[in-house]
Amino acid sequence: MTRIKEHPILGVYPKGELVEFTFDGQTLRGFAGEPVAMALRSAGVLIHRYTSKLRRPRGIFCAIGRCTDCVMVVDGRPNIRTCVTPLAAGMNVRTQYGVGEEK
Amino acid sequence: MKRYDLIVVGAGPAGLSAAIEAARLGLRVVVYDENARPGGQLFKQIHKFFGSREHKAKIRGIKIGEELLQEATDAGVEIMLNAAVTGLFAEKEITARVNERILHRKADAIILATGASENMVNFPNWTLPGVIGAGAAQTMMNLHGVKPGERILMLGSGNVGLVVSYQLLQAGCAVAAVVDALPRIGGYGVHAAKVARCGVPFYTAHTIVRAEGGDRVTGAVIGELDKDWRIISGTEKHFAVDTICLAVGLSPMSQLCALAGCAMEDDPAKAGYVPVVDKYGETSVAGIFAAGDVSGIEEASSAMIEGRIAGLAAAHRLGFLDKGDLDARIAVQEKALAGLRQGMFAPGSRGKTFTRTDEGYPLSQNLLRKGYLDAAEISAYPGITPDKGLRPVIECAQNIPCNPCQDACPKHCITVGGTDGNITALPVFDAQKGCTGCGLCVASCSGQAIFLVDEDAGEVTLPYEFLPLPQKGDRGRALGRDGQEVCAAEITAVKTAGVFDKTNLLTMRVPPQYAMAARFFQRES
Repeated sequence: MTRIKEHPILGVYPKGELVEFTFDGQTLRGFAGEPVAMALRSAGVLIHRYTSKLRRPRGIFCAIGRCTDCVMVVDGRPNIRTCVTPLAAGMNVRTQYGVGEEK
Repeated sequence: MKRYDLIVVGAGPAGLSAAIEAARLGLRVVVYDENARPGGQLFKQIHKFFGSREHKAKIRGIKIGEELLQEATDAGVEIMLNAAVTGLFAEKEITARVNERILHRKADAIILATGASENMVNFPNWTLPGVIGAGAAQTMMNLHGVKPGERILMLGSGNVGLVVSYQLLQAGCAVAAVVDALPRIGGYGVHAAKVARCGVPFYTAHTIVRAEGGDRVTGAVIGELDKDWRIISGTEKHFAVDTICLAVGLSPMSQLCALAGCAMEDDPAKAGYVPVVDKYGETSVAGIFAAGDVSGIEEASSAMIEGRIAGLAAAHRLGFLDKGDLDARIAVQEKALAGLRQGMFAPGSRGKTFTRTDEGYPLSQNLLRKGYLDAAEISAYPGITPDKGLRPVIECAQNIPCNPCQDACPKHCITVGGTDGNITALPVFDAQKGCTGCGLCVASCSGQAIFLVDEDAGEVTLPYEFLPLPQKGDRGRALGRDGQEVCAAEITAVKTAGVFDKTNLLTMRVPPQYAMAARFFQRES
């Protein structure tokens, strides 16, 4: 279980509404307003993109929008930092290959 | 173009403190921050802070963050979020990116409180998903309630590595090991000890050889280093982990200072490339100040004080505070700052090796190498008395700036620094004052280093910050300082109180001969 149900110091985390979104066409669920990357991590998705030359997998690294390792194609826009982009119902999230979608 | 008296860049502890001081003196202040939430890293700091009352000691970072935000609101500070300051120009003009727009603003003074960024180390496969920064782990667990992984290897034993290791345990993750290339643990011994007693092994003079895994981390290999930092062949050890966490230091984010033309210096004592500042935090460019980690890596406690100093100095420069008032107020802040900058972990002590405490007690080498005090060493320290009756046992063996135990004791049994008030002194326990066993010192110790021990009754009371909370009557194992099983134990009391602030007091009964060895409780699974 990736979600912390109750924390000894923080208690129960305030979360938004549980919503559906798609990851590479597959329907997943996460909480509205939390970073897309957190919803993906909770659903067991670790690979956000593949690098352009060597096709190496990348995922969450800094989680604060600095390193850009977690960028994906969100609602058709590439290079979206999923660790600082709030999840919304119906979002279309796709693995990024190089600088865009898989060709 | 919109104008302000003061623009602050960064809404962390330094920036907010600066803005509060300036706004209270009547300046029109705006704070820009690139993040969606203000507070910098404070809302990830779930542990109790060190220092003394004036430094907000024994208050958790999250609470300090809430207090600062309230103070900023009350003082009329404007905070602009999701606004990354991208330029700083002559005449104190800034540009900030907000969504797709660039804002252009001007002020009469600027305070840069941009903080720090994490350092990284490279090793084979370090780009695999599952290798993350320690800050990422904190963000995931403490802001979003998501575990970064199930089983983690922590690289780095400075305070960040130690604190995050403990937070990982609190979040329900397993920590396989804490690894540091240096031959000794870098952070506070008390932080290491609370991780070690949970059974986490420390590997000093070790480094990571490689991460393992095809498309995600499935393991890590570490190896021992010789004196020339080469891995000694045959010493490799494998850990099955799904996450490798990097806590290998911080660097000042001083790019805006350089961009503004401030004189810069590379200072190892400040952990990097920093603006040259005077005692007010003012850079070589009049009216541009720097406060917090951007001008030298320290703790949030000192960042808040530096922020207050810069805020006051900016107010003076703009004519909102006369010189006499400024000097009087700065003197108070400087005294508070000096209190934090004492002892073996002070910025001025970086790179030095200590063998004795300021008082002359031998420093525990076991604490430095393995993260816990050896049973044979502890009787040397002044917080540990040889009496047998109910008393606090204060396992505080390094000069760290902290004294909440002294304030917590209603009977004044504990003193830190005596009359000169040096808060880095080791706490001294005086049994003559009549300890009642109330446990307030146990809950107040930010380092969780105080235990109530009664060897006659065979009872040990320890601080406990995990879930599920054991109940009276629960049976299990008592673990020693090294996290290894010492004996069987039964919980005889569980105390929680608002004043303890979520540090629960567990009392366990053990055979009396183990009362000075048992330091943690693990329930029978």
